[in-house]
Amino acid sequence: MTSYFKLAAKNLLRHRTRSALTMLGIAASVGVLFAVLSFNQGFSEGLANELERTGLHFMIVPSGCAHEVAALVLHGAVIPKFLDTEVMEHVKKARGVELATPILVAQLPDQQRGRIDLIYGVDMDVVSSIKPGWNITGNIPRNDHEVLLGNEVAQHDNLQPGDHFSSPAEGVDLVVAGVIGLTGSQDDAFVYVPIATAQQLLQQPRGATAIGVKVDDPTRIGAITEELTSVVPGIQIVTMGEVMNSISNLAASARALSLSIVLIAIMISAVGVMNSILMAVFERSQEIGMMRAVGASRWNIFRIILNETTILALCGGLAGILLSILGARMIEAFVRSVMPYVPSGTLIRFDVGIAAASVAFIFVIGIVAGLYPAWKASKINPVEAIKG
Amino acid sequence: MIELKNIEKTYRRGAEDVRALRGVDLAIDAGELLAIVGPSGAGKTTLLHILGCLDQPTKGDVYFDGVNTANMPESQLVKIRREKIGFVFQQFYLIPGLSVYDNIALPLLFSNKPAGRKKIEQLADMVGLAHRLDHAPAQLSGGEMQRTAIARGLVNDPAVLLADEPTGNLDTENSEKIYAILRRLSDEGLTTIMITHNVDLAGRARRTVKITDGLISS
Repeated sequence: MTSYFKLAAKNLLRHRTRSALTMLGIAASVGVLFAVLSFNQGFSEGLANELERTGLHFMIVPSGCAHEVAALVLHGAVIPKFLDTEVMEHVKKARGVELATPILVAQLPDQQRGRIDLIYGVDMDVVSSIKPGWNITGNIPRNDHEVLLGNEVAQHDNLQPGDHFSSPAEGVDLVVAGVIGLTGSQDDAFVYVPIATAQQLLQQPRGATAIGVKVDDPTRIGAITEELTSVVPGIQIVTMGEVMNSISNLAASARALSLSIVLIAIMISAVGVMNSILMAVFERSQEIGMMRAVGASRWNIFRIILNETTILALCGGLAGILLSILGARMIEAFVRSVMPYVPSGTLIRFDVGIAAASVAFIFVIGIVAGLYPAWKASKINPVEAIKG
Repeated sequence: MIELKNIEKTYRRGAEDVRALRGVDLAIDAGELLAIVGPSGAGKTTLLHILGCLDQPTKGDVYFDGVNTANMPESQLVKIRREKIGFVFQQFYLIPGLSVYDNIALPLLFSNKPAGRKKIEQLADMVGLAHRLDHAPAQLSGGEMQRTAIARGLVNDPAVLLADEPTGNLDTENSEKIYAILRRLSDEGLTTIMITHNVDLAGRARRTVKITDGLISS
């Protein structure tokens, strides 16, 4: 039985190459749209997970830029300002603070191994509280000369608990107390040392890059930070929510740019669809004239042509989703190479809802692109068309 | 059944007005086999299009079963074409991607009638194509294509079959086959009107009308 869908599909198959190329244009733009939207979702979720993994509710840092704090927390950037650890006394006294630890982050070159170590000085007594998910082989350091290695560092140098860890500073001998199991986060790249050792390595005996704080009731973060700010001068408190916003804002402009490019690509492919269908309409005008003669109304013709564009859009859209899923790793590698900061883990999170929304979007675009050719076809004068 | 009264048709070609029909009067009875002949450009096809409610006259009246269709809106003309008229063209105009079966059934899509397989098979059998139903038009000979087009023209059970040079692209053998089908349809009571340049076929029709310069000359 012939149907409008079958008729439209058969018409498209008459010019396979042209239809395939038009569909490819749609597939490419929908694929990128889907990837960008999926990336947004993955980026936000990844960032939230990364911040949750810090095990802290807020950071106290020297007055400055919140972006630097974000970088500090997430990938070990170095802030050239230091807090005096005396601030710790005020923090500990504050009501509602469950625990607090000075954090001293440094990038120290290790001439012997020809690499830069990311040193993360922290109070080792709080590690098990703020990182309950860590699976440690060996022990958490108990002495100043011991280190806890991130999985990546240990794998790179093939180090086990008890091994000697070449010190980035002269006169300081270090031993591996434990190795953290793979976390899939930035934690894998750090060398965790007791805060006193980090201060010695950096020659900042009372310095800390930040003080990380965990509170007993997260709903009171606002009141606690307000109290601390009023008591301790020269500090800035940044909550993890603010860090997230800060990084999200950094990514937002890149996101807006890529979405704009995708939308332009979609518009171009819509024009491609319009052009392709319009060509087909003009080529088939005699056939359309015949259909009018055997009983097709203008609406019937309009419907056939509109079906053709929607088939192109839907098939192109689905192909785009498939291409995007197949090329996810490549897209992710590309994003990692161009973005200043990306959270660890899977960046592109495919979601059925986003896929459906992308296809629905191109479906609407397909219909809009098909309106003009369909209208043009429906206005063909059957008498003139049959005469050729 | 069909009556044309003082039909005139003028259309524009570039900057000039062309008078294709200049006052045609014609009455066609039900079940008639009428051949319309005349030189190229005489107005035969224009007349056929007006008879088929595909075009409207500039002046005059067209009575189809007593109803004047001359000034009917397009929506009503479509309805008449669907229900009462079947068209056959010289160039067949089969849709290449569809099978013979689907080409025959095509008008049913527009009239929203169910395409009963039995009916399509009967029509295909009647035009000698029962064994070709699953074939594509490209696999058919010219004669088979035209027979498919005739079956398509009949699928809506029309009251009139209009054929514009149905044998124009066919050899003698196939022309004979097509004429035999049209003759049989007419014998069974279907009003059949064909334009032809084939003098032999025109001579065998029950009635022949000659058009010259937009007027019926004999």
